[in-house]
Amino acid sequence: MPADIADEALDFLLARAGLILSDAERTELKTVYAGIAQMAERVRQPRGRMAELAHVYNFTAADVGEDLA
Amino acid sequence: MTAAIPTIAEAARLIAARRLSPVELTRACLDRVHALDDRLHAFVHLTEERALAEARAAEAAIMAGGPRGPLHGIPIGLKDIVDTKGIPTTCGSRILEDNIPAADATCAELLATAGTVLIGKTQTHEFADGGPSFDLPRPPARNPWDTGHFTAGSSSGTGAGVAAGLILGGIGTDTGGSIRGPAALCGIAGIKPTYGLVSRAGVAPAAFSLDHIGPMAWTAEDCALMLQALAGHDPRDPASADRPVPDYTAGLGAGIKGLKIGVIHHFHEVDYKVSDGVRRGIDAAIATFRGLGAEIREVQVSPLQDWGACGSLISITERAAAYEEWARTRLRDFSERVQRRLMLGALVSGVDYVQAVRRRRELRAELQAAMAGLDVVLTASQTAEAPKIDEVPAWDTFAAPSFTMPFNVAGYPAITVCAGFGAGGLPVAIQLVGRPFAEATVLRVADAFEKATPFRNARPALA
Repeated sequence: MPADIADEALDFLLARAGLILSDAERTELKTVYAGIAQMAERVRQPRGRMAELAHVYNFTAADVGEDLA
Repeated sequence: MTAAIPTIAEAARLIAARRLSPVELTRACLDRVHALDDRLHAFVHLTEERALAEARAAEAAIMAGGPRGPLHGIPIGLKDIVDTKGIPTTCGSRILEDNIPAADATCAELLATAGTVLIGKTQTHEFADGGPSFDLPRPPARNPWDTGHFTAGSSSGTGAGVAAGLILGGIGTDTGGSIRGPAALCGIAGIKPTYGLVSRAGVAPAAFSLDHIGPMAWTAEDCALMLQALAGHDPRDPASADRPVPDYTAGLGAGIKGLKIGVIHHFHEVDYKVSDGVRRGIDAAIATFRGLGAEIREVQVSPLQDWGACGSLISITERAAAYEEWARTRLRDFSERVQRRLMLGALVSGVDYVQAVRRRRELRAELQAAMAGLDVVLTASQTAEAPKIDEVPAWDTFAAPSFTMPFNVAGYPAITVCAGFGAGGLPVAIQLVGRPFAEATVLRVADAFEKATPFRNARPALA
């Protein structure tokens, strides 16, 4: 993941997020982009496609109607 | 004034013996609020009349039939992101300046049922994020040990209020360390319970899958008493755990001889070097635990920065999702610090978030394996003593890794307790982490530490 972001790319991301920022804020945000890129790199491990998320779920008794029994 | 501040446990014993009046105790707390809070800003809203009415009712009930439990008649505060029926709940934001909830959060209801006396709503960083902010309707809380210094956050008012004896305990919330940070820098105890143990219902979200609610008080024993009232299943919270609640005080005082304590040295010695004062506090704590008969072992997990990256990406994204509508329509109504946090949400992709959630599963498995054969793990709680309040970096997400975030990522219970005093006489702390739902063990170890050390005898000079 590149450690910097082009103005056009940042504009696209901000527009998609619906955030309207001043030029000074956009410049400031660009300076911290490397920090986000570094984090995004850190969470990418050689794990393969089968590795699950932490947020998986089970159906509860109420979901399957056992609470009615 | 200092001698007049009992712990919850001490007050409960005196109240049960009818040697301390809840009304007198409440008045003493309110007197301290009036004397000190113009310097501390621990409270955003006082509920003085309600407090006195609750104290009188408690006193009458206790005189008639004894206390309902150890929290009956105990003055507390609730962080201002906790909904309170009929009482303003602003979340520290001008966006909710006029918000008066129609119902209590579950934690507020449980503490009221236990007979506590609500002194008021305590200061919070805006929506439990960022801070300290000087561009909000109310000034940030200040550290009672030195009012020129930061409390940490986001449960800043509860931390300052407990340390200064304005309240005997209170509620904090913790998404990356917001209970344990203020507990550390204000020199008190604060426990982030296992994810799902205490209901989040009625508490403003910061990041849904990282948010925890928990008690803050002067001692671990007091935290145990409060947790007893707070723990339990709540169908209003989809993450609430449906399992029996043990007696959190049963093991207190039993000693820790033979318990196995792992220490993650590389967090504070390699991954990010803590201040000399924090280092000395940790080293002395390890020696204390050895002296109490615990077995100390070395533990190694992924670098602190890996845990921080995982937690931060999840936190940034879930927060941006929760507050997306206001970010789009009322961005300028947030403090500058929260505006910055919300802007970060635009920089994290959906795939980044999912990779973070996959990493979370790996890190949790790693901690589970590392804790095999251990009762608790000890780590640093904070990087250093409290910084000056006007020297907290604007983009603190990137300034230093968090020693507390790993256990929000894992969801494991973690307590911070005072481990001495460092530079400028400011408190330093340690963090003790247990297996999921092993709060009783965590509290037992923390209580043994507090009772073996003199740090609970010193209150801030202004108190």
